[in-house]
Amino acid sequence: MTDTVERRALTREQLLSVYRTMRAIREFEERVHAEFATGEIPGFVHLYAGEEASAVGVCSNLDDRDTIASTHRGHGHCIAKGVDVSEMMAEIYGRRTGSCHGKGGSMHIADLSKGMLGANGIVGGGPPLICGTALAAKLKGTGGVSVAFFGDGASNQGTTLESMNLASVWNLPAIFVAENNGYAETTSSTWSVASDNIADRAAGFGMPGVIVDGFDFFAVHEAASEAIARAREGGGPTLLEMKFTRYFGHFEGDQQTYRAGEVEHARAELDCLKRFADRVTETGDLTQADLDAADAEVTATIDRAVDEAKAAPLPAETDLLTDVYVRY
Amino acid sequence: MSDAVVGVVANPLSGRDIRRLVTQASVFPTAEKANMIQRMLTAFGAVGVQRVLLSTDLGGISSAVFRAIERRRGQDGRWPEVEFLDGQPIRQTAQDTVDAVRRMVAAGAQVIVCLGGDGTARVTASAAGDVPMLALSTGTNNTFPAVREATVAGLAAGLVATGTVPADGVATRAKLLEARVGDRAETALIDVAVSTERHVGSRAVWDPATLTQLFCAFAEPDAIGLSSILGQLFPVSRRETHGVTARIAAGAAQQVLAPIAPGLVVPVGVSEIEPMQPGSVHSVGARAGVIAVDGERELTFEPGEQPTVQLRADGPLCVDVPAVLAASARLGLLRRPPMPGAQPGFPRTDRLGGAT
Repeated sequence: MTDTVERRALTREQLLSVYRTMRAIREFEERVHAEFATGEIPGFVHLYAGEEASAVGVCSNLDDRDTIASTHRGHGHCIAKGVDVSEMMAEIYGRRTGSCHGKGGSMHIADLSKGMLGANGIVGGGPPLICGTALAAKLKGTGGVSVAFFGDGASNQGTTLESMNLASVWNLPAIFVAENNGYAETTSSTWSVASDNIADRAAGFGMPGVIVDGFDFFAVHEAASEAIARAREGGGPTLLEMKFTRYFGHFEGDQQTYRAGEVEHARAELDCLKRFADRVTETGDLTQADLDAADAEVTATIDRAVDEAKAAPLPAETDLLTDVYVRY
Repeated sequence: MSDAVVGVVANPLSGRDIRRLVTQASVFPTAEKANMIQRMLTAFGAVGVQRVLLSTDLGGISSAVFRAIERRRGQDGRWPEVEFLDGQPIRQTAQDTVDAVRRMVAAGAQVIVCLGGDGTARVTASAAGDVPMLALSTGTNNTFPAVREATVAGLAAGLVATGTVPADGVATRAKLLEARVGDRAETALIDVAVSTERHVGSRAVWDPATLTQLFCAFAEPDAIGLSSILGQLFPVSRRETHGVTARIAAGAAQQVLAPIAPGLVVPVGVSEIEPMQPGSVHSVGARAGVIAVDGERELTFEPGEQPTVQLRADGPLCVDVPAVLAASARLGLLRRPPMPGAQPGFPRTDRLGGAT
């Protein structure tokens, strides 16, 4: 039993890394929010600010054996799984130096070398993918675990429900992370999700379903640690439901006439970065100076990423037919 | 005489925490919570409750009751008027329960029924003041709330709220534990545990290796949860005035097998068991860690802070359901006048099995 606590005990270095990653996601998103308004970024962007504790709380339990599948709101998952932020920024700007050579954009950032199967424009597109990688990990005996992040909208999709069924039937090392930020685009999840709590659906698939305070890194990390350890040991899939709020609209440009006051309350009272900073300085694990240094480092990294992205070339006509087919 | 009013607060998040994952704790469906409220409404209506104040939530309980009221037809029996306590922001935290209970107290509820586990009962008690509460189990760990049919609980709550059975004889004052770290304080209805965990995290406590100290307001031999540790070694009933405290350590000479969470029966090492007297203040021995109230981590403390735990006699007033219905039987409160033409003292065999 003691090993459960040891497994999730975080060293000073790990706590600093967690903070740096959550801060990097926040800074990345705040910056994309500002840059998108200038009109230089093509396509749509959906920002993850406010939800950082979910991506980082889950992915800080993962290693190179593990894979994740993401959503249209994928920047946070990418950063948490270790995708290079400069390549990500270049991808969002549609540049040749991007993670997918500028041909994917925000909703298709992928980096298989990091186990990041891709952001995904298809709502509910991720869960079937992780059933595949989880099956591969199980058959090859790698000990790898696969995680699908999806939203409250995707929780109503057949693909998600079928995947949970399959994962349970095949007893896969698969974790389903429902990121319930309250709205599928503009539709309230309290209206559209018949069971109200997405976690309740787990019972129908014979797996544990747990509701987690998605604003609290330590709560997410603990729940994910238990679910992932269980999956690695052959215990099968788990459904975790994160409850929180996104700080920006569904997409940049969303007028958000369907909600009022939630974001202000969350930013002031619940913010994951603020809570994490308060806690680790209270325990003495980190000092304010440590956090300030991390902030400065992150800001510099994001500044550099934006500058490099803007300076990088667009894909050329000759790039049009590259990366279209894959030879196995 | 003023209206008979009952408050009903239901926690949409009870029975949903990490214990579903780390143990095999029960899942209490939202639909059943809503059904329980409807069964209570029937009982309230039958004994003359005029008004029910119902908490609102984003978990689907209040909306299901709302839909049920809309669908009701004349022959379904009388339900009281139901007032939904909306209009305040719902945060999906324990504060929602506190807000709802405070509004019920302010609106003159004579009884407050809460649906949840030990955590929900604890939060309800903290806001109920001197209004008698009745805790029904729909949560994970259920030592304080009763596992009881809601219809029967509804009859008892209704008989007390209408004044048909005076609260004096059938509501008992529970004990309370107060844990204090500087100016932060939390109360517990059953137990306060000191854990070496560093953070509040997912709140639940399920690893005995992290425990160092335990304080119990009562410790029953048939309890579920942390109080079960002392329930087998030094039982203390709810009615006794004292409590009990002990040190917990894996290597202690005294070992006991205890169901410390649903689905978890583990050996626990115990030493230095001693009674707690009301009012006496006990120090927490650990340098840093987390204090759990009724099995849920709530208060962190750091070196230099010296947490204390005190047993108090002024806990919530709790409706004793069997006592209410025994009083009702004794006084014949649920007897009704015979149907016209019936023979007094004989069962009305002409009606048995028939539709009424």
